[in-house]
Amino acid sequence: MVLKKEILKEFEAVVGEEHIDDGDVITNVYAYNWCMEIFNYMDGKEPIPFSPTPKAVVLPSSTEEVQKLVKLCNKHNISFKVQSTGLGPWNQPSSENCIIFDMRRMNKIIKIDEQNLYAVIEPYVSGAQLQAETMKHALTIHMPGAGPQVSPLASATSMNGPGFTSPSTGHSARNVLGVEWVLPDGEIIKLGSYGVKNNPDWYIGDGPGPSLRGVMRGWAGTKSGLGVFTKVAVKLFPYPCKTDYNVKGTSPNYDFDIPDFMKLYVMDCGTFKKLETTMLRVEEEEISFMCSFLSSFAVMAIFSNSIESLMNKLAIGRMKAPLVVIIAARTKREFDYKQKVMDFLLEELGLKNIIGKLYTPNPIFYAEALRSNLGLHGFIATGGFQSSKGVADTANVCLRSTKSNISLKQEYIKKGAIANDFGEGTWMTSYESGHYFHMESPTMFDQTNKKSVEGMAEYMEKSNQLDLLKHLGAPFFVEGNRMHELFGPHMSNYHIWLRKIKETFDPNNISDSGFYISSS
Amino acid sequence: MKEQEYQQMIKRCLRCSICKWIPQLQIKSQKYATICPSIDLFNYHVYSGGGRIILALALEMGRIKPSEEIRDIIYKCTECGGCAVSCKFLNTLEPLEIIIKLREKLVSSGFGPMPKQQQYIEAVKNEHNPYNEPHGKRLDWLPKDIKLDPSAKTLYFVGCTSSYRRKEIAIATTRLLNAANYPFRIFDGKEFCCGSPVLRTGDKESFLTQLNKNIDIIEQEGIETVVFSCAGCYNTFKVEYPLERDFKFKILHTTELFNELIENSRLQLNNQVPYTVTYHDPCHLGRNSEQYDEWDGDVLDLMPLISINMPEKPKRNGSNGIYEAPREALKKIPGLKLVEMERIKEFSYCCGAGGGVKSAFPEFATKTAKIRIEEAEDTGSDIISSACPFCSTNLKDGINEKGSSLRFYDISELLLMALDSPQKSVKKSSTEVT
Repeated sequence: MVLKKEILKEFEAVVGEEHIDDGDVITNVYAYNWCMEIFNYMDGKEPIPFSPTPKAVVLPSSTEEVQKLVKLCNKHNISFKVQSTGLGPWNQPSSENCIIFDMRRMNKIIKIDEQNLYAVIEPYVSGAQLQAETMKHALTIHMPGAGPQVSPLASATSMNGPGFTSPSTGHSARNVLGVEWVLPDGEIIKLGSYGVKNNPDWYIGDGPGPSLRGVMRGWAGTKSGLGVFTKVAVKLFPYPCKTDYNVKGTSPNYDFDIPDFMKLYVMDCGTFKKLETTMLRVEEEEISFMCSFLSSFAVMAIFSNSIESLMNKLAIGRMKAPLVVIIAARTKREFDYKQKVMDFLLEELGLKNIIGKLYTPNPIFYAEALRSNLGLHGFIATGGFQSSKGVADTANVCLRSTKSNISLKQEYIKKGAIANDFGEGTWMTSYESGHYFHMESPTMFDQTNKKSVEGMAEYMEKSNQLDLLKHLGAPFFVEGNRMHELFGPHMSNYHIWLRKIKETFDPNNISDSGFYISSS
Repeated sequence: MKEQEYQQMIKRCLRCSICKWIPQLQIKSQKYATICPSIDLFNYHVYSGGGRIILALALEMGRIKPSEEIRDIIYKCTECGGCAVSCKFLNTLEPLEIIIKLREKLVSSGFGPMPKQQQYIEAVKNEHNPYNEPHGKRLDWLPKDIKLDPSAKTLYFVGCTSSYRRKEIAIATTRLLNAANYPFRIFDGKEFCCGSPVLRTGDKESFLTQLNKNIDIIEQEGIETVVFSCAGCYNTFKVEYPLERDFKFKILHTTELFNELIENSRLQLNNQVPYTVTYHDPCHLGRNSEQYDEWDGDVLDLMPLISINMPEKPKRNGSNGIYEAPREALKKIPGLKLVEMERIKEFSYCCGAGGGVKSAFPEFATKTAKIRIEEAEDTGSDIISSACPFCSTNLKDGINEKGSSLRFYDISELLLMALDSPQKSVKKSSTEVT
């Protein structure tokens, strides 16, 4: 499905010949993505890891070019799908009448404002890159669980966004400040203080007038279903400890000088009830850099760099309701205070920290925590994993969701479709001092095994439906028309309003809505 | 890589883009965060390690057919292996080996190698070197005052690039060996291309011819140790030859030997070399110089979908490259201050010349060298040093193209400057060795 020559020439005139390709080699490679086989199967298609092949791939270098490309797409009735670092099926086109915008060439850190605590970035700046630069100012950023290699702009504007450091850095949706946004019809809109007439700057995301942040991404993000985000300001946070950062040795057996004033706690809370109480208490005290409930299998995984080393940690695997907490401080006084509070809580709740007793992690674990690299450990068991669920609610609802999922997961473990994590595979973190929580259910499968792929897809569907049945809210992957129409009627008919937004901003349905909602 | 493993592995790319960056935990700046020269220059995802894995899958699934376009994409890669180091921090994929296999497949199907590479393969067949220089002139670089010992059990394998293009490295190496009274031989008329340039293009058959010629003659001559100043030759003998044929002689890079000779006081470094120097790790001497360890274990199915290797299967992570010997040698030079670039050791940025790129895509090679030179400049160094004649050529091209004030010297040249005999010093130009 190549572009007609005359249309290709119009696109070439915008970006130059070398920055657009409609050949079958490049377009086929862009048709692939992780977990695409699952989403294909869910849509009744063959479970292969390829989406519809785009007509072309284009590499814009500026907002002006993006605007022109969007207008050309409208003119020729070709949809567009935008990707930055490109992890996951949400980057894939839903039809062959689509051009992919790969934002690789827009990779500048435009500004780091250390006084007002924000950074302005383009789409292809990675989390690790931005953090490396902010660390020079003793500051850090929020990164999603997907890891430091992904784009903070993509997460902030378009895609979910819980992270391991969420207790101290929040959620991607909460970290968006000023935004430069090319709407699906090509109009450029500037959100927040960047849009004011006099002295525009990036320090706030709302206004002028009514805030459009909710329209821009809602809760889960539009995954390129509502235009192109070309610049965004994200919040910066104080780096949690001293920024002396020294990774030694060679990969993968790195060593690390653990910074002063950083301490890890892993405690078995025994029951979900006690886990809930403990998480709420820890967060109430506002002392944690990281505070995650991970199933015992997941705790084994975050301390391992291979399946073999994971299996050496079975002693940890016996924990029933493990809680992983890191406290970190810039000064001894701050650290002593946080440590004292943790000691007090442990005593109050009758918990013991296993670190240094039952288990001592390699120092590099601390570097991975600081650089938000822990989510990538989800892949080490089978090479493939995906999450179901995606609850954002109170700790109690998140744990109800966890519990409700266990027997379902065990059913598919018994079938041999997904790997055995005892049915408990969960990651739950608090946001913003425990005012609300995130829960998801990471599940390991084998993407090269058809039975496993099909089983995983069925399990994910049923896991999502459980949320409906048990009144647990909308999960992560309520995406696309089918899912919105399934969940919407149970949730205040939100899908009708979502569609109205789409119709208003994208009447021609040009911004690919495969993972959002179509205008009709 | 066996075909079965290849077929499994090409289905497993996560498309996470980690292969485009140095290991995430090592990123210290935005500017020097990337690892892959190919994606850095050509931008489309297919030019990354992961992109080429997807391309392999698309080929196997029949979604695309071998073509000149695919050939160009597969060969626009320096085979530096940086993608593999980053990927294998937590994963088990082998993007570099998949690329090597893809090249072999392209050669088998008549699409590879690149025309320029085919020319040098012919030159290797005819003149035993890829530069098509007369074999009879291979030793023209050798100064008359160098003492060779025909009965020595150590062979200095000079390599094609030092013999014909970077003679200063061969001269400095032999002078240093003489200064240390270290007995060695050089084969007159019996040293042939190691086969590295041929192997990297995917032409395994021609490579095996070179391998057999070299092993045969070394064994016939009763050599016990072979010393290399070329990282490419060293890598080929150390890593690639044992995969095809057993041999008993020992392999050493000159940086290892020189470091040992300095420690044993056989090389006396007394002259001040008052420069700030940064060291570039050649891919062939660094991350790619790890041997393939044999694994004869069992795959234990622990539970559905989860199996482990007993014992754990060794991964080539780049951990055991030759990193310390060159640095230690440099640090022992009086007056020399060694400073590091951001991308070093197993995540060093490639010079841009490897994998047949220098001949097939010279502009790509030079652009990459310029990126590396800029990184060296940012350290405030006067000199960029390395231990590979091929890196030497390309980095010098980068210096010239960029108009940089940096100078390039091979480690052997810097060591020669530090020798106390004034006759062994290097003058203004590194080629003016007296």
